[in-house]
Amino acid sequence: MKLPSPVISIEIVSLTAAIVLLTRDKNSFWKIVMLYIAIALFFESYGSYLNSKKINNLWWFNMFIFLEAGFILYGLYHCLRKYINPLNIIVAGTIIVYGSYGLSVILNGYKQYNILCVNVMSVLFTVYALYYYYLLLRDEHFIVLKSHPEFWWVTGVLFYYFGSTMANIFDGMFNFKVLNWLPLRYLIYIVLNLILHSLWIYSFICRMKQRKLQS
Amino acid sequence: MDILLYMQNETAKIAILVAIATLIFLLMPVFLILYIRSYNRHKKNHFVEKQLMQETFSAEMLKAKVEVQDQTMQSIATDLHDNVGQLLSLTTLTLNSVNLNDTEKAAKKIENSLSLVNKSIKELRELAKLLHGEQLVSEGIGYAIEQEVNWLSKSGVFQLKVQNELTRLEHFSPDKDLIILRLMQEIINNIIKHAQATHIEINAYLENDKLFLNIAEDGVGFDYDNAKKNNTGMGLSSIRKRMEMINGKLMLNSTVGQGTSISLEIPYP
Repeated sequence: MKLPSPVISIEIVSLTAAIVLLTRDKNSFWKIVMLYIAIALFFESYGSYLNSKKINNLWWFNMFIFLEAGFILYGLYHCLRKYINPLNIIVAGTIIVYGSYGLSVILNGYKQYNILCVNVMSVLFTVYALYYYYLLLRDEHFIVLKSHPEFWWVTGVLFYYFGSTMANIFDGMFNFKVLNWLPLRYLIYIVLNLILHSLWIYSFICRMKQRKLQS
Repeated sequence: MDILLYMQNETAKIAILVAIATLIFLLMPVFLILYIRSYNRHKKNHFVEKQLMQETFSAEMLKAKVEVQDQTMQSIATDLHDNVGQLLSLTTLTLNSVNLNDTEKAAKKIENSLSLVNKSIKELRELAKLLHGEQLVSEGIGYAIEQEVNWLSKSGVFQLKVQNELTRLEHFSPDKDLIILRLMQEIINNIIKHAQATHIEINAYLENDKLFLNIAEDGVGFDYDNAKKNNTGMGLSSIRKRMEMINGKLMLNSTVGQGTSISLEIPYP
């Protein structure tokens, strides 16, 4: 039996943790997080299947980018609204992200990886995450960082999107293989996913503790 | 062949560059989180310190309030014993000595008794006013000062010049208000009892988060340095002590034969 790919394995662990830790959560954001990881796992699994059959799977991942952008924008909106009314800046970000998505589809078609939108997402989500940190520092109330779920969720986003910036910019310019079966681009992708989901699982633990304290 | 090798070299260089840059890009958020953690810790310490200071301040205010109440009670007890008690005893004595057969003398004695009872009522009203303080300040220090001035003007003994800007205050400090009112009452009582003044000037205003209360009169004045040295300041030491409790400043100028002026400067609210 063939083992699942490292990214699929990470997402299975993340989804299991989300189901265990967040099922009883009544907050819609955390329910959507759980749903998003399930969708991401589905997309990753089917993408992997298409790849194993040597079928172009870029259109499939382009569809996922569309959902991913929406979910991360919603998550950032949820985190930022504790400090400000972020509606305007999130709407502006949505227009920029989906504008670049549409532009890339028009220029390159849907069968080519939407690298323009991915690059825009990297920059924009990094800026939003840094802005969240700025608001958190500026706020006169202090928070207990090690048990603050939103902080660790945003930190996961920052690591993933900031960390992938260079790999996205130079996408297609290096086909270097670390091992025979492992291209550097894929290794970076695995490491980033590992960091993202580790931080998100930690945020789920914080959220569960927070929910138990509140009940 | 050379071109292929060159391209492979270039690809490897870009790959190394991307790998190093990604590593750096991953390290930067780590340092950012460490900075946020440290900043947050400072913020927490500051918050705890602020809370501690507030608690200390509240405890000091409570202490000051209790002391002020104690002093008020003492004044009431002294006044009851020395004034009202004496007046009523005298009334009893006078009424006891009334001989109904000697109508002329009896009428005079009853008249004297009535006068003594009226004096007692006046004294009791003064005492009631002292107890009334907390209710007065509930509507703000400006209102309490206004009432104090009204009472003073009704006595008709002094010519008053008053400028009270504290009636328009937007923020109050109920704890400080009571202490400020008691200080003012103490100063005015001192003027009434000892100064032999004819004019009193009162200025009350707020400037740069500080409340200023200036009271000046044209009475007999006194040697302030001497009074300070001998600790015979007609309640001045208690005024000074209360001012210290609310972090206020007291400035007193007095010249024998020319009167006294007292300025209070209190952080407010």
